[in-house]
Amino acid sequence: MESGGREASTWREGRSGMIDSYERVTGRVPFATNVEVQGMLHAVLLRSQIAHGRITRIDVSRAKEVPGVHTILTGADIVVRGAFKARFGPVFRDQPILAIDKVRFVGEPVVAVAAEDRDIAVTALALIDVEYEELPAVFTPEEAMANGAPILHEERPELGATFADILINRSGDPNTCNTFKVRRGDIESGFAQSDHIFEDVFTSPSVQHVPLETHCCIASVERSRIVITTGTQIPYMVRGQIAEIFGLPASAVQVIAPPLGGAYGSKCYPSIEPIAAALSYFSGRPVRLQNARDEEFVTITKHGVKIYMKTGVRSDGRILARKVLALFNTGAYADIGPRLIKNGGYGTNGPVSIPHVWIDSHAVYTNVTPAGAFRGYGISQAAWAYDSQIDMIAHRLEMDPYELRMKNLLVDGEPFCTGELMHDVHFRELLTTARDRIGWDWSAAPERVGQKVRAKGMSCIIKSTVTPSTSTASVKLNDDGSLHILTSSIELGQGVHTLLVNLASDQLQIPVGRISVARVDTDVTPYDQQTSSSRSSWSMGHALTAAISDVKEQLLSRAAELSDEEASQLEIRNGHVSVIGAPEQGLSYQEVVRRTRAGNIVGRGFSQTQGGLDPESGQGVASVHWHQAAGAAEVEVDLETGHVKVVKYHAGVYAGRVVNQVHGELQTEGNLAMGLGQALWEELLYDNGQLQNGSLADYMIASFDDMPDEVDLNILESGRPDAELHGIGETSLPAVMPAIANAVFRATGVRITDLPLTAEKVLRGLKALEAEGGAKNGDLTTPDGASTDGQKHVVGSVT
Amino acid sequence: MLAPRFLRPESSDEAVELLRSFEGAAKVVAGSTAMTIMLRQGLIEPDALIYVGGLPGLREIHEEDSRLRVGALCTHREVELSAEVRAVLPILAYTFGTVANVRVRNAATVGGVVAEADYASDPPAVLLGLGADVITTSPSGERRRPLLSFYRSFYETELDFDELIVAIDVPIPPSGTYAVYEKYVSRASEDRPCVGVFASAQFYGGLFHNVRIAIGAASETPQHVPAIDRAGDESDLRASVIGEIAEAYAEQTDTLDDMRGSSWYRKEMIRVWVRRALERVREDAYASPSPSRSSSIPDEMPRRDQ
Repeated sequence: MESGGREASTWREGRSGMIDSYERVTGRVPFATNVEVQGMLHAVLLRSQIAHGRITRIDVSRAKEVPGVHTILTGADIVVRGAFKARFGPVFRDQPILAIDKVRFVGEPVVAVAAEDRDIAVTALALIDVEYEELPAVFTPEEAMANGAPILHEERPELGATFADILINRSGDPNTCNTFKVRRGDIESGFAQSDHIFEDVFTSPSVQHVPLETHCCIASVERSRIVITTGTQIPYMVRGQIAEIFGLPASAVQVIAPPLGGAYGSKCYPSIEPIAAALSYFSGRPVRLQNARDEEFVTITKHGVKIYMKTGVRSDGRILARKVLALFNTGAYADIGPRLIKNGGYGTNGPVSIPHVWIDSHAVYTNVTPAGAFRGYGISQAAWAYDSQIDMIAHRLEMDPYELRMKNLLVDGEPFCTGELMHDVHFRELLTTARDRIGWDWSAAPERVGQKVRAKGMSCIIKSTVTPSTSTASVKLNDDGSLHILTSSIELGQGVHTLLVNLASDQLQIPVGRISVARVDTDVTPYDQQTSSSRSSWSMGHALTAAISDVKEQLLSRAAELSDEEASQLEIRNGHVSVIGAPEQGLSYQEVVRRTRAGNIVGRGFSQTQGGLDPESGQGVASVHWHQAAGAAEVEVDLETGHVKVVKYHAGVYAGRVVNQVHGELQTEGNLAMGLGQALWEELLYDNGQLQNGSLADYMIASFDDMPDEVDLNILESGRPDAELHGIGETSLPAVMPAIANAVFRATGVRITDLPLTAEKVLRGLKALEAEGGAKNGDLTTPDGASTDGQKHVVGSVT
Repeated sequence: MLAPRFLRPESSDEAVELLRSFEGAAKVVAGSTAMTIMLRQGLIEPDALIYVGGLPGLREIHEEDSRLRVGALCTHREVELSAEVRAVLPILAYTFGTVANVRVRNAATVGGVVAEADYASDPPAVLLGLGADVITTSPSGERRRPLLSFYRSFYETELDFDELIVAIDVPIPPSGTYAVYEKYVSRASEDRPCVGVFASAQFYGGLFHNVRIAIGAASETPQHVPAIDRAGDESDLRASVIGEIAEAYAEQTDTLDDMRGSSWYRKEMIRVWVRRALERVREDAYASPSPSRSSSIPDEMPRRDQ
């Protein structure tokens, strides 16, 4: 912050909440869902009902007869007309706009209908006949990697140029669309030096993001111009993909990106936008397409992951070696899976210092809904494995799990498994605070009242932020002294626009009421790489700061024109330009802009980080800095039902420097709510590729009543005024699931290694313990879960 | 999908004549909390929706001859908050108050929840346990059936296509009766029950009489087996008696599998929750051995929306 704020921070008065809170509570936020365009058609999609098959016939003749139906489109129509590219995807161009020849998952769009209204389109949809020749299907990475497994993409999909830094390793298995490796030290010698070796298997299911607002877009395609209004986290990605599909220069594609009603990673990469654009191209009319809730469940998910983890430990608890095989189920189309497995791969190292590391992380095609970015980005699945395992190791070695973690946590100057040296590290501080605030006492027995038992557990996690990364921002200082911020960072509800306004307010020392954020529009607002990876505060914050510095410099030189002083003798102080040492004689910004007839002063800012990893060794720079969190849960388990209630939760997260305390707390509470659901119930259940619970009646997310009675937050700051901003949008989430599972283990002796910890799974565990005559070794797993004794699998274990 | 015709009869007679004329292709709609979901999911495709929400005379609650008659158009919220219901059948007010959330309870009707026969609804099991009758009207006249023989299977009842539920008629338990409803939710707090257990018994002379159990949400239809309940009659509901009843319900209920629990898990939960429900009845009785009339208002009204 500017130190000037301390002497007269009047510009901060009246600052509270979201800058658009009035619009939010009065229903005036212009979400994509609310946009109407003159003459627009309404589209619906016929989706595949089989998991894998060849399309043998599509008959749309009856549907065409329905009055009000305008355009009916199939993948074959797109291919035959050849007017534009038929496939898209952020890494591989493997996803057809509409299925071509084959369908690869239940829910894949096959036919699109655009009509005068939605009811007409739905009526027509019911009259379309599609016939398939079913093909054998695979639903898990292990099935997909087995010898003789059906191949999802016979032809190797085209690799796009969207990410300059993605290195693809497609050695071997045809259903594996990328493999990332970490090789550090000498793994065999690490195990040889170890006194104990633990092999465990952990699974996380695929889950859904469940944003309140489903995907929605309106596309208008004209001969040489495309306008798309869409709920997206990455408007420049949508622009690039649409421009590529239609063979247009980027400047001919305008993407308007309104605020989102939640996203959590689900709206990073194009999904329905190419379909709406294709329909608009063929119909000559603007086309609106919005997912119904059940369609949201078959559009994009979090990766289901199975992790084999072998860890070698010295008798004093020091971890010496870790070998990991991580199988990410990326579904029928790659989406961002090939990139995510990199984070999910090195992520399995955890926040600990390990000299010998060997990690293989695979993104594998299967016949289920594509998986992509999800709050936590591969780290939740990794943390579920490593933090559960460190707790299990502590128990097996009869050590305090807090002490075992403390013994191994990374500190400043130590290398991560990628070889980069850690800096600004606060794991020990976070974990110790977590221990103190939850009231951890290893020697204390679980507290039992009647059929209910209470105990505590903790966790500690590390997360990267996307590196390399680029953000740009512009600001316009108007002739009345007010400011416009032009940014392509998207307001998802996380408060990024409020944060940027607060930063600008502090730096120019003007009240937030005099600052506006322009609507995100790729024709107007400058490039931002993505609104994800908890990077906006940091990356866009830097770009904005640079843009404001640019404005300040121009203000000083403009003001110098109006005075006898050199620009170097002037300073910005208390919202004025004044002579250094004589703040009382300042010129207002308004005076400077008006009297110099500048019109406005435009500042430009740029922020870029460098990095990248070698895909064969995983060595390089994974993250410009590291996101850090600890969690501690107190649970109450009903021993007769297996029901778990989280009664208290402490979330600790390192923020570097807090810009907005309330938003920091809300983000962290939101992570807790999301983690709670994933810990206890959330799981997309498939039966032969058919989703069984694709509705909010069948799929449970946490509600307010499920939140712990007591929530305690530690948004940790470094204390240095120049500390870097650390994103916290995701950071505390991956800690929630293992903290709860570790507490359930302490309470019951039941160790569950396959999320979620349903009541039934816990009860089955309790019954199995009872049958064994008590929790002697604590290594029990659920009958339907993974065993902890180094179970082999068809692909090959990590050993 | 052609939108169904939306018809608004002005009387019950007109409504049942319309039902008869559509020969089963029409559906009755009032609060439409369940109907809308079924229509939107394409589970039903009626030719017509016959809106009865505004019909006169079907929204009254009154007590007569030790019976409480609740009009079919009373909303869940009205039953939950009704002073009359709370006075004579507090367990019924409590149960309707546990359903869904206040938005749903403000619209969903008593007739609707009984007719829908959704296995995961709370009120049917409690009404069954209380020994309620269903009163209907049709072009052939008024009819009364015990709820015990009303449910056939999933979403299937004895209702003829031209029959309209007009009221539920519930006997008011004799004084000294203690009743509880245990709603066990296995997932998020807004979920529907995995198992719901109603239990009641009359306590006098140091013994329990007229023990009644009903199990909801665990099988296709709510379960009430008088032969099992009799084990509790003239007993002190000691642990062994309760255990025997719980075990018998667990064994005899043909439990189903869904997202809220497997068939095995539901049997386990029936065993646990029948026992817990009966223990509560016993504890309530010992705690205040002579309530003026049926049980008192439960201490724990649902926490949500209060």
